[in-house]
Amino acid sequence: MMSFQEIIVYLLLGFAVAFLWKKFFGKKKKDKDCGDGDCGCH
Amino acid sequence: MNRNTIKVALIGNPNVGKTSVFNELTGLNQQVGNYPGITVEKKVGFAKLSEYTKATILDLPGTYSLNASSMDESVVIELLMNKNDKDFPDVAVVVSEVENLKRNLLLFTQIKDLEIPTILVINMADRMIPKGISLDIPFLEKELKTKIALVSSRKKIGIDNLKQLIINYKELSTEPCLNASSIDPEYFNSLRRAFPNQLLYKLWLVITQDVNFANLHRKKIEENSFAKPKADLKRLQQKETIKRYQFINDTLKVGYKVDKTTATDFRERLDRVLTHKIFGYVIFFGILMLIFQSIFDWSSIPMDFIDETFAVLSSYAKTHLPAGILTDLISEGIIPGLGGIIIFIPQIAFLFLFISVLEESGYMSRVVFLMDKIMRKFGLSGKSVVPLISGTACAIPAIMAARNIENWKERLITILVTPFTTCSARLPVYAILISLIIPDKRVFGLFNMQGLTLMTLYLLGFGMAIFSAYILNKILKIKSHSYFVVEMPGYKIPMFKNVAINVVEKTKSFVFGAGKIILALSVILWFLGSHGPDKTFHDAENIIETQLQNKTISGEKDDLVASYKLENSYIGIIGKSIEPVIRPLGYDWKIGIAVVSSFAAREVFVGTLATIYSVGSHSDEETTIKNRMAAEVHPITGKKIFNVATGVSLLLFYAFAMQCISTLAITKKETNSWKWPMIQLVFMSGFAYTVSLIAYQLLK
Repeated sequence: MMSFQEIIVYLLLGFAVAFLWKKFFGKKKKDKDCGDGDCGCH
Repeated sequence: MNRNTIKVALIGNPNVGKTSVFNELTGLNQQVGNYPGITVEKKVGFAKLSEYTKATILDLPGTYSLNASSMDESVVIELLMNKNDKDFPDVAVVVSEVENLKRNLLLFTQIKDLEIPTILVINMADRMIPKGISLDIPFLEKELKTKIALVSSRKKIGIDNLKQLIINYKELSTEPCLNASSIDPEYFNSLRRAFPNQLLYKLWLVITQDVNFANLHRKKIEENSFAKPKADLKRLQQKETIKRYQFINDTLKVGYKVDKTTATDFRERLDRVLTHKIFGYVIFFGILMLIFQSIFDWSSIPMDFIDETFAVLSSYAKTHLPAGILTDLISEGIIPGLGGIIIFIPQIAFLFLFISVLEESGYMSRVVFLMDKIMRKFGLSGKSVVPLISGTACAIPAIMAARNIENWKERLITILVTPFTTCSARLPVYAILISLIIPDKRVFGLFNMQGLTLMTLYLLGFGMAIFSAYILNKILKIKSHSYFVVEMPGYKIPMFKNVAINVVEKTKSFVFGAGKIILALSVILWFLGSHGPDKTFHDAENIIETQLQNKTISGEKDDLVASYKLENSYIGIIGKSIEPVIRPLGYDWKIGIAVVSSFAAREVFVGTLATIYSVGSHSDEETTIKNRMAAEVHPITGKKIFNVATGVSLLLFYAFAMQCISTLAITKKETNSWKWPMIQLVFMSGFAYTVSLIAYQLLK
């Protein structure tokens, strides 16, 4: 049987992994169409 | 009671004090974000104009005209062209500057042609007397068909009047102040007939810009029989600009007078010294010395205080909270991990304080001018100095700042070399390593050795950026023409409010941006360091006891158990597997874990070590991060881990390695290709590895 402290720790661990995953591998919004001139980038 | 909110867009050329007006209108009531889908900074503020009227104020990127040549500028045009945009303003406030009114009015006349209610703010009005400038406001208002607010954001003059004008924006004329279509009446009449429901100037902008806008597609216009070739359109655009300047000249001839005899200006004399071909560089170098000395000297007291506080907090949590795994996580994982970032707030704040003061005073533009001569020799433009200097804060906005470099080759080189400049995330790593390996002594009784080392690292980063640019300039076969125009704003005493807001905002984003990552990593690292996969981890106590009884090892039992557990934990296993690669650089597996985890963000390095050493230590003496690192010894040789050879190797590794996943992401975004970030990663990290290897092997 898991103790109260253990439950909290595993929850925090889950949150931490999910946060980092979302931060570095999460889907980003698509870029707007810059048009033929590529917003003057090139 | 009817309460309404007015949407205001603050528009203007760069360096007209737009941000000061924004700060005066909104105070600290601001939100900074990005425009959806693109990484141009979006600042929104909220202002209470009267008891019943509020305003949301959008601070748009500085632009010289509505003819976009960079991405920053296209944001302004796109917003003003799209009435369906949720940020489309009820009223546009064009901020100009009293000394450069002629150039600033070009943008104003273009916005008036979009038939948006527009207020003209003439800022820096306090400079009128020293410059001998007088304005005929009623005449200017009549000719420009607008209301003018004469403002000095520095002296807090005219802000109330501006608020009143915003409240009464419905009374403003939306009539254009000149007829731009007279440059080619036949063409514009055809355009009007083909699209009777569209605003003529908006159509003209759609045709001549490189940006596609919602609900309006260039193709529809280009398919018409009267469509013109690109070269003709460019010629027409030039004619339009000339016509606008003719109108502005005629208006200012009457409404704007300068009496040189009453002007008391020392700007020219100061410019001669600050941009002098010898003294200019000496002064700049002196200012850099002062900055780095101060970062170390002034911040040591608050840093020691923060370090002690976190150490006390950690042991307090351990002794006062109920014993258990959660208490261990808090005292050994979260508190030391957070301490590893908060300790650097004083140094970061001092760095941004100096940068803000240099920018606000107008000195930074002189530095850009000064450096242009050097930059050109290395294939960069004077404009590259802005990203390279901004890179001292963070490479991400710095790479974005390269957008105002029109020449693609110069821009690409700037993007690729900017991550070499020493960003604020490197500062915590440098600071802790320097304090461990460089003695806190003075050279000639004046210069602190630690400060000098820090300055050397900054110069090393800058030097490497320039050297790489030179190589890239030779390698890259991209043909391009370049020119350099830099604005020299007048000298100003920095406004406390602007400097303070900048320091607070930048420090906040450093702490909260990295803080969340560090907090999450602390939890994971602690877990990986406190748990192991097999019996050796769980039976650590028995194994050590047996070894102590057999006298195969010696030392404090608690420390030996903690160290043994750490070595056999998940993190220990991961660290040991990468140790062969990093051992030639002088790093043990614990440093290896810190190096790998700091790929997320460099400053994570210190927090990671703080967590690992906290988990692996039971000693009550080495409670602060620095003390723990200083006390770390090699288990076999018994020598200190953080000696000069390892310290220098680490400093050089962090000076050159591409240890930032976000920078790679922004390079991909800005170059629209994975090729360039991959080149950046391989070259920078490969170079860092080689240099660190040589340094360690020579110094060990």
